[in-house]
Amino acid sequence: MHEAPERVRRLKGLVVPVVVGAAVVAATFATTAAGKSEAKTISVAIVANGQMQDIAKLTPTLFTAKTGIKVKYTILDEGKLRQVTTRDVGSGGKAFDAVMIGPYEAPQFGSAGLLVDLTSQAKASKAYNYNDLIPAVRNALSAKGHMYASPFYGESSFLMYRKDLLAKAGIKMPLHPTWQQVAATARKIKTSSMAGICLRGKPGWGDLGAAFTTVLNTFGGTWWSAKSNGEPDKAQVDQPAFKQALDFYAKLVQDAGEKDAANSSYNECLTQYQAGKVAMWYDATVAAGFLEASDSPVKGKNGFAFAPHYKTSSTGWLWTWALAIPKSSPDPASAWEYISWATGPQYLKAAGSRVTGGWASIPPGTRFSTYKIPQYKTAAKAFAATTLAAMRAAPITNPGTTKRPGLPGVQYVGIPEFQDVGNRCTQLFSAVIAGSLDSSRALSQCQQIASKAIK
Amino acid sequence: MTATAADVALTKGRTGDPFSSAWRRRLPLLPALLFVIVITQLPFIISIYYSFTDLKDKTQSLIPEPTRFVGFENYRQIFSDPFFREAMWTSVKMTVLSVVLSLVLGTLFALLLDRKFLGRGLIRTLLITPFLLMPVVAALIWKQQMFSSLFGILNKGLNVLGFGSVAFISDHPLASIVTVLVWQWTPFMMLIVLAGLQSQPGEVIEAANVDGASSFGIFRQLTLPHLRRYLELGALLGSIYIVQAFDAIDVMTGGGPGSTNVPYYVYQESIGGGFRYGSASAYAIVVVIFSILIATFALRLLSSLFKDEGRL
Repeated sequence: MHEAPERVRRLKGLVVPVVVGAAVVAATFATTAAGKSEAKTISVAIVANGQMQDIAKLTPTLFTAKTGIKVKYTILDEGKLRQVTTRDVGSGGKAFDAVMIGPYEAPQFGSAGLLVDLTSQAKASKAYNYNDLIPAVRNALSAKGHMYASPFYGESSFLMYRKDLLAKAGIKMPLHPTWQQVAATARKIKTSSMAGICLRGKPGWGDLGAAFTTVLNTFGGTWWSAKSNGEPDKAQVDQPAFKQALDFYAKLVQDAGEKDAANSSYNECLTQYQAGKVAMWYDATVAAGFLEASDSPVKGKNGFAFAPHYKTSSTGWLWTWALAIPKSSPDPASAWEYISWATGPQYLKAAGSRVTGGWASIPPGTRFSTYKIPQYKTAAKAFAATTLAAMRAAPITNPGTTKRPGLPGVQYVGIPEFQDVGNRCTQLFSAVIAGSLDSSRALSQCQQIASKAIK
Repeated sequence: MTATAADVALTKGRTGDPFSSAWRRRLPLLPALLFVIVITQLPFIISIYYSFTDLKDKTQSLIPEPTRFVGFENYRQIFSDPFFREAMWTSVKMTVLSVVLSLVLGTLFALLLDRKFLGRGLIRTLLITPFLLMPVVAALIWKQQMFSSLFGILNKGLNVLGFGSVAFISDHPLASIVTVLVWQWTPFMMLIVLAGLQSQPGEVIEAANVDGASSFGIFRQLTLPHLRRYLELGALLGSIYIVQAFDAIDVMTGGGPGSTNVPYYVYQESIGGGFRYGSASAYAIVVVIFSILIATFALRLLSSLFKDEGRL
């Protein structure tokens, strides 16, 4: 009996929220529609390194002000960036208009038809100047003559050291040192407050995996042997050369390496080197720009030597962080406009006087024209020539002493399985470095992972 | 498949007349039920199908390759995979340790909060806070501010006391993760136990007091049996959630030695880089079966245990 009026009241109560709700929904749609027609916004995923932080800061004044295109950055560390891009690019997600990838991903994603081929746009644009790109870098980002990503910076690896500290200890670092020389120096020079050398120990194929694999190569080891057609044949982690390399690396870090090595990679080592907590550092050449930057506490105190070697002559890696457009990008035209600006010669010239580190810390290693800018030549005098020579010498087609799959590639194996194997094995190796796992055990587990992956 | 599920829902436990008033009341719920079935049960059935195939993605483009039906091959492999066995063992240790420790701590805090004292509201809020944090944030805070051997508070404390630094996460990965999980889940257990304590009739305690029972005796003989159901509930819910722990592992160790539990291993095998969806699905199915078995068993065990205790 009482039910009917009760219901009517309830219904009345419902009407108001429903109407308000509908109005809110309508208004939301209206604003998004209006927003789209007014200003374009693109989303870009980049890696959290210094030069990228710089461009993110400069984008509003140098790019958005001119083109009206707003850029929304997602800045992630290397490992997370890879997870995000693999997932987003691979599944055709529309989250990003441009993503930062490297020579490991670009040819694989490009050949799979997931990235926009940039070749014709790049060649057509006069301002971009395709022929100015350093060929080794350009080729590393191409597959069958198609360029799938435009390089933002390029790097090899080399040894950076404090000239002043080595001189005080009476040591002269040769231009082409061996690993044994470097290890002896590190052990001799370390003090209780300062480590002898900073080496990457953080798990991840692009972190510990990169630095360690260059050591592995020159110690005569390899992750896999290759069949005659270049495909992976058998896992080689259980071979003596692999153990020798891992033991050498882990022992060196334990004896004379940085504190908390198992959590240290490029950024951590950079901080510790700049703070005077390490005397030497084997890592990416791009770091030199920060060590010699105008605001660097160690400016002018650094020496640079080629990547240490043992059984091979040239061991430095080749890497480049480059911008690519996923096929699924909602706005590829704006994305290219952004990429051609961010990786073009004009940005390099404009950035020099604006970034906090000055000319020395502009993104290096992508264009010949960079090395002709007078201000850069002065600021980067200490390392520019070594960097260029190291990049030219990087043994991308013949990094070790034996035949191997996944070439070209120095500090990684260019096959899809390497990402998983590299990540899981470097976790084990990181534990070896930390002293919580025995190297024989780590290697036998890693051998199983590497064997299973290529089955 | 959805049609049959709907039919089941339609006919289950009803009088038969589709226009009866009971039925008319249920009708509006059907779309929601269908929706829930489609988004929860369909993926599970597809996973079961995948677990019988060799689905993998060699190009890592997330475009699955043509698949082959392999029967029980994936399931056979599970038991010869040492990494899976290790992950299972880690899962068991991680879950049991976290649930037991957070239950014990939660009960202690609940007993404290059940008393009246100045600032109880404030203390209660502070104690609940860890549970309100996102798991990723909690893991990051612990990793960076507490455990870090360079600038972590724990190591600063150790140094002040004259001890050397300890690389907590590198040297004790499982203990570090369990610490974070316990820190996060203690408030949850505390809330449940507190609800139990506050529903305890005051007269009984008073009567016991009058009879001269010691406070420990009261706790053991009266409070604990009364809390049985609440502790069971806490243990069950806690296990269900902690078994799936992922955030803390991903943030703190990235699956380093001794810290990969089963969900993280399934992630590594599938979208985390392995891209072997077939075998990853088989792992996931096995985990579901084990979880159901363990939950049922644990609940029965717990329940009978407390019943016996109640009789004493």
